[in-house]
Amino acid sequence: MNANVNVSQMGSGRLLAAYLGDIRFEFVKMLRTPAFALPTLLFPAMFYLLFGVLMGSVKGNAGQALYSLATLSVFGTMAPGLFGFGVSLAFEREYGLLVFKQALPMPPGAYLVARMSMAMIFASIISLLLIVLATSAGHVPLTFVQGAQIYLINVLGVLPFCALGLCVGAFVSGQAAPAIVNVIYLPMAFLSGLWVPLQFLPQLVQQFAPAWPAFHLAQLSLHALGMDSVGTLGSHVASLAGVTIVFFSIAMRRLSNGGLRMFGGATGARSRFPLQRLLARAIFFAGFGLIIAGVMGGSVKIAAVDAGGPVGAPAPQTAVIANFEDGTAKASYGLGWNDADDKTQGGDSSAAIRVIPDGAESSTGALEVTGTVRETAQHPFAGTAFWPKGSTDEGAFLDYSNKHTLKFFARGDGRQYTVVFLVGRKSGGIPPMFSFTAEAEWQEVRVELDTLAGMDLKRVRAILIGTRSPAGGFRFALDNVRLE
Amino acid sequence: MSHAPLASLSSVRKRFGKIAALDGLDLSVERGELLALLGPNGAGKSTAISLLLGLQRPDEGSATLFGQDPQQVEARRRIGIMMQEVALSPVMRPREFLTQIASYYPTPYEVQAVIKRLGLEPIADRTYKDLSGGQKRLAQFGMAIIGRPELLFLDEPSVGLDTNARAALWRVLRDLVHEGCSIVLTTHYLEEAEALADRVAVLAHGRLVAGGTVDEIRAHVSRKTITCRSSLANGDMKAWPEVLQMSEESGRQSFVTLDAEALLRRLLHADANVRDIEVKRAGLAEAFAEITSANQSEVKS
Repeated sequence: MNANVNVSQMGSGRLLAAYLGDIRFEFVKMLRTPAFALPTLLFPAMFYLLFGVLMGSVKGNAGQALYSLATLSVFGTMAPGLFGFGVSLAFEREYGLLVFKQALPMPPGAYLVARMSMAMIFASIISLLLIVLATSAGHVPLTFVQGAQIYLINVLGVLPFCALGLCVGAFVSGQAAPAIVNVIYLPMAFLSGLWVPLQFLPQLVQQFAPAWPAFHLAQLSLHALGMDSVGTLGSHVASLAGVTIVFFSIAMRRLSNGGLRMFGGATGARSRFPLQRLLARAIFFAGFGLIIAGVMGGSVKIAAVDAGGPVGAPAPQTAVIANFEDGTAKASYGLGWNDADDKTQGGDSSAAIRVIPDGAESSTGALEVTGTVRETAQHPFAGTAFWPKGSTDEGAFLDYSNKHTLKFFARGDGRQYTVVFLVGRKSGGIPPMFSFTAEAEWQEVRVELDTLAGMDLKRVRAILIGTRSPAGGFRFALDNVRLE
Repeated sequence: MSHAPLASLSSVRKRFGKIAALDGLDLSVERGELLALLGPNGAGKSTAISLLLGLQRPDEGSATLFGQDPQQVEARRRIGIMMQEVALSPVMRPREFLTQIASYYPTPYEVQAVIKRLGLEPIADRTYKDLSGGQKRLAQFGMAIIGRPELLFLDEPSVGLDTNARAALWRVLRDLVHEGCSIVLTTHYLEEAEALADRVAVLAHGRLVAGGTVDEIRAHVSRKTITCRSSLANGDMKAWPEVLQMSEESGRQSFVTLDAEALLRRLLHADANVRDIEVKRAGLAEAFAEITSANQSEVKS
């Protein structure tokens, strides 16, 4: 329009560089603040090693390593947004930096964009760290798709916590902010079942869980990993979006009342348009609606999670399932041991069984399983299966609630093997599992049934023993299988 | 267009609760001048600046920056700012601050050039928390000029600087003005305004009470100071009607008066042996004190 305008135009390249420069600046700043960076980056990994790997391997519980990956990655996702916005904003508001930045020709929204990106970068580092730990130390058989899903959920999952942090930072003083943020962060993590699974927490805690965004994010992660999750996907996304909208709106309103315009421009004049105010209000209430929808969608299912339908027939008194002494793969009840693979799941793995002469404890028979795993199915599997009810039908359950420990002898090629229990009526989802390594010599494997995540002893359809990823040939043998 | 002021406030009123921070203020900054904004605490200097920066909006009247609303980022791309109380991140380094702020501007100076110009080399790569107060101010001054601003707002720029650093700062300010940059400066150091300012605006109670060149402001003031060595009794001299204030230091008397000629006549008449007579016009400090106190009494009455 006139000469004045031209000299102050910024090319889009320079503008982008300004946004990127702010992101880099913010990230470096946070990295150089050890009180923030160390706990934020390392606590989730530390907790994972403790809860997921150490406690999981003590119990031999593969489900634990998987469950902890889902929940602790959410724990890691909460911190960068809550602290990055909550504590820093409170300080910068109090000590004049926000006013200075506002007087500078900072591109609109750059302050928020930089911090949000910082939170996302931190979340992505944390989630990669956990994925690496889970697949290495935790022996979790994660597919690429599952890993990618967990990563995305975490990176996008910072948004509601950024909004919550923004709200804290907009209201409280710099001195009070760290305490307030911790009071939100730690209890919410606990009440959302991030440390202890919700089913072990009091009924009241379970009922209130859908009020917390961390609960919804954890359910999304659990779902992505194929584990038991409650509530519908829609309700989780709705709640997370709602929390983001509502707390962001409250924070923006508070900041602009204090004369701080996060998006530049002339907000003083802008908010005088009644239509715009109406729209802002509509968005705010829509956000509220989404949160309520999330609570409803989350709580409906939580009550239904225990109703598993009719239980199975009582299991026979005998502890012995099979010792292969008669030269066959027969069991003392049910269908005998058969080969099992992933062909019905669209896979291409294969397995064959035969009875061999030299068994464990100097016995004269054992079951040998050989085959090849190919990674075509989402969850590759090859091995052997035992159907205790004598049928592979959906509802063919046996009630094992009077048994506590599965024991058997195994030896093999040093590969990792897994005991998988098919329980209940549901298809899909990751079943209760237990991992062990088959060494060259016979060794006894004990599986404490009560400790397996997702176990439903009243409705056991099948016990599978075999191997999963990585691809390749395998050979192992079983003997003296007992359930006592 | 070429005569339009770079920044202006016209008939601006701004209240904070019951207190009128600005009460119909008119102020404009012309191209190439250094305007010093003077006034006691609470006079409205900071409010005036924050309206020009778009940090607040006037209740009445209007604030413009390069003919635009100061809240337009395009207008602010042509200014540089040094504020008084800003807690910058303690873990970052001056070079990093300069690089970041430079990225907000269309045609900033090279970061290294600013570092060199201000002699920041020894501190450019040290963390901010390890800098002295004066070094921090100098780094902040660098951040103010990095964007090659046409108009520079400096709030008490030399607070915390030692004599050398202040002299260096003044030199850079004079150079900038010489290069065509306009500067608005608030200061408590009157000698700073005297040394640098093309124009002075004195604010009190949210109003402009005096404006003009340093000389014009001084001319407003009729106060003069007479010093001499006299053998008369101090008590007698102090009682003379022309004397407003009197003091003595190592045998040398000093009088403040509104009527220097009458006082001189009386002095020469009373003491034939009076020696070393000197008459001085008031400095900006005296002028400032008189203008604001006169305004104060005017407000009271």
